Amino acid sequence: MGLDRRSFISLVAGGVAGSLFTPVIWKTLDDVSIWTQNWPWIPRLQYGEELTVPALCKLGADAYGVKVKTIAGRPVAAEGNPDHPLSLGGICPLGAASVHLLYSPSRVKNPKLKDGSSFKDITWEEAEELLAGKITEAGANMAMISGDETGSVTDVLSGLVGKAGSDKSYFMPGESAPAAAALAMLGGDGQVGYDIENANYVLMLGADALGSWGNVARNGKAFSASREKGVKFVYVGPAQNGTTAVADSWIPCAAGTEPVLALGIAAVIAGTNRDRSFWPGFASFAKFVQTSYPLEKVVEITGVSAATITGLARELARAGRPLVLTAAEAGQGLGAFELAAGMSLNMLLERVNTVGGVRILPWAPKVVEAAADKKAMLANDLVAYLSTVADGGAEAPALLMVYGANPAYALPNLAKAQAAIDKAGFVVSFSSFMDETAAMADLIMPDSYAFERLDDAYSPYGSGQPNYTVAAPVIKPVFDTKPAGDVLLSVAAKAELDLGFESFEDVVKAKAEALGADFDEMVEGAAWVSEEFPAQDLALWTTPLQELAVAAQDGKTLALAPVLRLKIGSAKVAIPPFNTNAIRFDEMLGNDMYVLINAATAKNLGLKKDDAVKLASSGGECKARVRIFEGVMNDTVVAPLGLGHTAWDAFSRGKGDNVYKLLAADTEAETGLSRFATVRVTVSKA
Amino acid sequence: MAKCKSCVVLPFLVGLVASIVLGWWGFPKVLYSQKTQPIRFDHVVHVEDQAMACEDCHAFRDDGSYAGMPTNANCVGCHEDVQGEDPDEARYVTEYVQQEKEVEWLGYQKQPDNVYFSHIAHKELDCTSCHPDVANMSTPPVYYENRLSGYSKDTMKMWQCEECHAQSGASNACFVCHK
Repeated sequence: MGLDRRSFISLVAGGVAGSLFTPVIWKTLDDVSIWTQNWPWIPRLQYGEELTVPALCKLGADAYGVKVKTIAGRPVAAEGNPDHPLSLGGICPLGAASVHLLYSPSRVKNPKLKDGSSFKDITWEEAEELLAGKITEAGANMAMISGDETGSVTDVLSGLVGKAGSDKSYFMPGESAPAAAALAMLGGDGQVGYDIENANYVLMLGADALGSWGNVARNGKAFSASREKGVKFVYVGPAQNGTTAVADSWIPCAAGTEPVLALGIAAVIAGTNRDRSFWPGFASFAKFVQTSYPLEKVVEITGVSAATITGLARELARAGRPLVLTAAEAGQGLGAFELAAGMSLNMLLERVNTVGGVRILPWAPKVVEAAADKKAMLANDLVAYLSTVADGGAEAPALLMVYGANPAYALPNLAKAQAAIDKAGFVVSFSSFMDETAAMADLIMPDSYAFERLDDAYSPYGSGQPNYTVAAPVIKPVFDTKPAGDVLLSVAAKAELDLGFESFEDVVKAKAEALGADFDEMVEGAAWVSEEFPAQDLALWTTPLQELAVAAQDGKTLALAPVLRLKIGSAKVAIPPFNTNAIRFDEMLGNDMYVLINAATAKNLGLKKDDAVKLASSGGECKARVRIFEGVMNDTVVAPLGLGHTAWDAFSRGKGDNVYKLLAADTEAETGLSRFATVRVTVSKA
Repeated sequence: MAKCKSCVVLPFLVGLVASIVLGWWGFPKVLYSQKTQPIRFDHVVHVEDQAMACEDCHAFRDDGSYAGMPTNANCVGCHEDVQGEDPDEARYVTEYVQQEKEVEWLGYQKQPDNVYFSHIAHKELDCTSCHPDVANMSTPPVYYENRLSGYSKDTMKMWQCEECHAQSGASNACFVCHK
């Protein structure tokens, strides 16, 4: 029987009919629909045990405990640590984005050596041998910069530099240095802290305590608790910000003149009937403030009315446990005399070294013998040093090592800082990220990220009591990075400089032992805290009193109020990719940043909303767009720090401009510290 | 006419039968690839010889989530070094434990990411209601992987979940399984 056309059609028809009674069609359709959901670029969930692991967040100026949530050992989110005294369950915007930075595209994934205008990858062995050779070559002609005031890695780095015979150990600018110098002017010695939790009236003179200043998470918790207790929080500053949004009141005050207001209030209080004549230094202090800062002069400088000044004086005097927090809006830039002005007001109110007042904390114990004392290191002014090197007034270091800092981006007198770094013989960056300083460096030895290394923190600036935190690694290094502390000890040994420790863990254990803290307990997340405050022999100013330098209003320039918004980043990190969605429509227009001026100022300058403008100071220039905001004082321009990066990644590079370029610093003659909180700028159409 | 009728019916029947046979017997062989577990884990040795309970390895965590397949952390207590003469045990120790590498066990019932399945909510059921009775096997069953979808042949389909929920009076609302 042959298979004719009709039979073939029947065969096929039978096959098709039969297939309907099999899973072929139905199963294939079902599986194809599932297949369309299985593209390789669709993220897959990782299953495993969910844990919360204690860790440290040091991405801003603060250093506090967080808890990292892990799934199958992989960090997925960070949250506040209720058991840590500086978190109390709170977390800052950078901490919230900290886990995602672990996988940031700007991570430096392995050691790199400058090769022409780019970098070539090298091994850790090669990098350590190279650095050991450079250390030996440089001898005492080396310097170090650290952006971490709290950690022991700074001690190791400073110890290495000290062992080589150099005293050039520097911190990035902050308020610890002027605060310590201010305390010294009042006869004290120690770290300055603030017992916000136990105050019943908090006057924030420029301190953006609820947005970016001090122990941000802890401040927020103290504020939250204060609501039920009737504690009043008053903010004094040139513009509305995160703090004014929730504070009980905002008193507009010309940018950078808050210390003048402090002395004005002090003059009012000193003039009251109470007999303070037996207080050490009171007579000369009272005479100084009443002569140099009469009410009308303070009104003229600060823009705060006489009634408000006397009202503040009255409220402070009656409060019982008032506390005055003095700071620059950006958390840096005040000189020691300016901070001492606020400190003297606390003294006048008898609020120094007492519950709910200013607390004097002991310095961290020194465990690396060759390291500089923290007090001495704070007195070394980095801005002045780099400016002098750039101007040729000092020899450029043959070797410059940078840890936890980005001086090529986040310093006043920025052009000079960059020139000085450029003049250094050999620059080594230990940055975890390709920041501006790493991009300029000759050698990058990438530090493992915060959650990949053992780290510690002793009492960050503002802490109300001595505290010490140790955090173990949450995860093994994701890339070919190494903890800087161990790398430095290894390199020091190769260069035959004995720092007394073989591993960074030994350094931390030694510090814990010196404090009487339990290393193992701290690794589990329990911070060490102490209630011991060294006795102080304070007086109302022990050094010659002098008037504060305030940039004169000239009708042509505006007072610059640089502001720090942690969601945008800090002096250490650029905007985390996770936070880009938090940039509001009124903060950026395309790739341009907004600066804020009020309508009256805009009218005087002939500017309107969205105009492209150029801001210029003696330090440099910035480009921006104008946004009209009535929460800014007259003749003041508010500009955000943290934008305008030239390195990092696509999430931050080329977004806005770098306001640090505008910060022109001068040097306080008595202390040698730089001050840059009262910069004036011209604003003109670009 | 009769001849003409057989010319139509017979090929139709042949095509029908051939199609049914190929559809039920040949199609699955094409659709599924066969895989074996990376290590031949002998449940019998562990359950009968070592008197281990299922929960020793397949345990609930403190938060109620299910640990599922054990990791090296479960095994190194005994298998840091080779214990017996089983070549698979030796391979596990040298290739996984000593290399600090986890075994990529094949899950017979692994659900897609968009399905939330809680073992603790189903703990009253016998394990073998859904899983093969591996406790009585020295060699794990063959793993059939769907070449199109990538899932195991034994992955439970939604209608099976719904059927059981309906029979037991549990909710069949979408959000019960799809969060």
